[in-house]
Amino acid sequence: MSKFGISAVVMLMALFIDGAGAQELLQSPARIAEPPAPSAGSQFINPPARPTQPASVGDTPLGLGEVLDLKTVLSLATQNNPTLRQARLQISAELAKAQQAGLYPNPTLAYAGEQIFVDVEGDTDSPGEFQGGIISQRIVTAGKLSLSREKYLRRAHVTEHLAVAQQYRVCNDVRIHFYRALAAQQRLEMQRELLKTAEDAAVTARELYNVGQANRYDVRKSNVMLQRTRLAVQKAEHEYRMRFRELTSLVGLDLPVGAVVGTLATTEPLATFDGTLARIVAESPEVLAARAKLSADRITIEREEVEWIPDIVFSAGTGYNFDARETVAVADISIEIPLFDRNQGTISQARADFNRQRREVRRTELTLRQRLAMVYEQYAMSFEHASEYRDSIVPEMRAAYRELLSSYKQNRIEWREVLQAQAEYAEVRLAQISYEEQLRQSEVLIQGYLLDGGLNAASGPMPAGHIDSVPKPR
Amino acid sequence: MRYEKETKLLQSAGRREFITKGAIAAATGVTAAMLASAATAQEAMKMPHAHGHSQKPIGSRNAKPSIPAGTDVREEYDGYSRFKPGRGNDPDSDYYLGKLVPGFRKTEDGPAPFVAPDLEKLPWEMVNGAKEFHLVPMAVEREFHPGVKMNVYGYNGSMPGPTIEVNQGDRVRIVVTNELPEDTFVHWHGFELPVQYDGAATLNQEPIKPGRTFVYEFDVHEEGTFFYHSHVAMQEAFGQVGWFIVHPKKVFDPPVDRDFGLIFQNFFVGPNQTVSDSWSMDWNWHTINGRSGPYTTPLVCKHGERVRVRLLNFAPMQHHPIHMHGHTFWVTGHEGARVPKSAWIPRNNELVGVAQASDFEFVANNPGDWIFHCHMVHHMMNHMTKQVGPRIRQASVDRYLANLDNRPSVEAAQRAGFNTPGYPQKMMGMSMSEEDMKIYWGRREVQGMRANYLMAVKGLMTVMRVLPDDLYELVMETDQPIEKGAVFSEIVRRFGDPDHYEPAPKHEMMSMDG
Repeated sequence: MSKFGISAVVMLMALFIDGAGAQELLQSPARIAEPPAPSAGSQFINPPARPTQPASVGDTPLGLGEVLDLKTVLSLATQNNPTLRQARLQISAELAKAQQAGLYPNPTLAYAGEQIFVDVEGDTDSPGEFQGGIISQRIVTAGKLSLSREKYLRRAHVTEHLAVAQQYRVCNDVRIHFYRALAAQQRLEMQRELLKTAEDAAVTARELYNVGQANRYDVRKSNVMLQRTRLAVQKAEHEYRMRFRELTSLVGLDLPVGAVVGTLATTEPLATFDGTLARIVAESPEVLAARAKLSADRITIEREEVEWIPDIVFSAGTGYNFDARETVAVADISIEIPLFDRNQGTISQARADFNRQRREVRRTELTLRQRLAMVYEQYAMSFEHASEYRDSIVPEMRAAYRELLSSYKQNRIEWREVLQAQAEYAEVRLAQISYEEQLRQSEVLIQGYLLDGGLNAASGPMPAGHIDSVPKPR
Repeated sequence: MRYEKETKLLQSAGRREFITKGAIAAATGVTAAMLASAATAQEAMKMPHAHGHSQKPIGSRNAKPSIPAGTDVREEYDGYSRFKPGRGNDPDSDYYLGKLVPGFRKTEDGPAPFVAPDLEKLPWEMVNGAKEFHLVPMAVEREFHPGVKMNVYGYNGSMPGPTIEVNQGDRVRIVVTNELPEDTFVHWHGFELPVQYDGAATLNQEPIKPGRTFVYEFDVHEEGTFFYHSHVAMQEAFGQVGWFIVHPKKVFDPPVDRDFGLIFQNFFVGPNQTVSDSWSMDWNWHTINGRSGPYTTPLVCKHGERVRVRLLNFAPMQHHPIHMHGHTFWVTGHEGARVPKSAWIPRNNELVGVAQASDFEFVANNPGDWIFHCHMVHHMMNHMTKQVGPRIRQASVDRYLANLDNRPSVEAAQRAGFNTPGYPQKMMGMSMSEEDMKIYWGRREVQGMRANYLMAVKGLMTVMRVLPDDLYELVMETDQPIEKGAVFSEIVRRFGDPDHYEPAPKHEMMSMDG
């Protein structure tokens, strides 16, 4: 019999022996009386508590730095952005190459001893038939040096255009990031407006709860909205810090997060695509640099075409002839015979480079067209939106908000509708800020020849992969 | 429209002339009556109290309730006094609760003039043996409150339309010229007339096209309380109704001194909107004779008079339990016909259904300002809105209006009252401009009422003022300025308990105390 079976038998016996005791055994153990949990709707329960401020990462407090305007940040960037200095050094480097390429070859001074130990009269091991100094000079023909200098001067001209492009890159990027920071700052202000409305909605929900016009669900929902709005404010603060730091990075300074001041909305008239493209193709520093490079490549061909014309090397010297026992002179003239190497390969390469560069000009134009197509879409869309938000949507919503405030004042509507209108008014202003920001960015790019990337290294005149096969600049 | 303006001008000029002449005549008569009836002084009346906290006594300090000279009515019938509250001795008595207690007016003088406050009467002229009226359905602007002009439909420039008043047995011809931009019909509610003139849309007649005229003509063999209205549902809901009162050949017995008419209506008018939404299933504006409380004009009668109030509920879909304070009235008729006396019912509250009318009669034996209102809570407050927000936080909305782009922060800490579930229940807010106050208080009918009167009368509310003769004369028949609360205090002094009366602050108006 199992243990369970034995226990059961004992219990049955006990039942017969003592009925009263058995009765006690059948009773369930006494429970600890717990107060019933209050249930919503059965008795008044205070509304749920308002949530506390959400945790923050404790980043740098806002507003410690200076107040910057666009003019100031552009001025600071001009002084401190390293890529502008890089661009200027690119010009210097090309000018130095030009100087180097045009320098005339140095004369050669040599000491010569010939026929040493030749037997001469009276001396079987004479110091030599000739012992003396020789000076030689290469005469450069066909204007090679001036062509080389001209070539590098033209490349320096390319770097000048590229420096202008870099200037645009930096200034455009500074402008774009300034407007981004300005927009972020305004978005933060709007989020703070929304927060005030969310706080009011939470208070209102409690007021409604107290008069039976809202339940705990409504109050909790208002708490959720309040907390989400608080987080939205924190997010907006983080975004602003990011934008400000991006801006100061472009400026080239490590400034504490301050404030920006300026006007986000633009008053510039709408530019057409065709007009903009024509202007950019005609004036873009990138196109100008490509054309300048084409010019340099043309000179390169000219330069290489004269390379095969031999230079003349003259040598002259004087020494003592131990055979003749008298002072003698030597003279030499040499010239390379372009029998096999007429520089035909390099000429061919230079011509190919020239033709390649012709396509590079066209490629640059088409790239600009393609980039403009993308930027213009943003520009046109944001222009339309910013205009409508400025002229119609925001004023209408503002008027609608005013109407509801007046209605509330006259006891015609309830406060929740006003709060809704407040939130909608803040939201359309938020949207307006975003469209104005987009418009500013695309406008800056359109006016600034589509150049951005103010911290990209300043580029040189030679495209990647270009073969500069001659060690000495020429 | 020109017709409408001319009619209004004529009517307003005539009314003023009537008031002035009537006041002189009445003043003379009242003075004579007071002198004549000094002997009938009411015992219960108290003399001015020396230590009362009310305002200075006004009126005739020795005035007593009086019975006009030349009438054979009495002060008391079977223990029922026309000058003090009471029921009489026997519920089976003809005079119980003043049931058949006659007014001062003699039966042979004909019916008492019918007065619908704030509404004009439609003029007529006898043409070819019929009283010819010209009725013009049109869009009108009605001032529900001072400066609050709502767009509704009505007749002859008025909503409700002007009152048609005839005698039993008259032949009437109503020339209806439609100035609405849409078809209309006019139904003569309750009349047993030839079917072609019944006005039921297209069942009986072709529509009256815009700009066209239709002539209704019939004999009136009925008597009692009738009305006319458009028989297009939306036009009805948009306000098109008016009184059609038929005085009996044999004046109703007992005769009344006052015959008032009140048309209750309601509308839905959205926030910042003036056009009524007749399609709405909800109603937020309530009017009596085209005005909302406190702009409704009080009904003023004299102490001891027999008064009839005809009340029509022309709300689109809501019934009205009508309550009058301070008196028990007899329901003596409905829109169908005068009720036989054996079926009259004494009431304090009468439920008046949609498109029903009820006639109330009572003897004004309890002086004072008695509120007369629909008892539905929603109807006692016009265009109700939820109480939350700045209104209960004592924060002016002007702060928000001052800078729309940067709203004020809200105070998170709530007031101590919020520890009590249900707080706040009191209506808060509601401001009135000085100009509005002047208009409200500029009416003679409200002179001497308590300064807080405007706070008390909202929506479907008006006031039945029962005034001793001298105060009636002062209020209604003179142009004398009367201090706010002075008449009320005087009534308390004479008929109430002045030791325990506190006058209202003179300039308090819709305070936001919570």
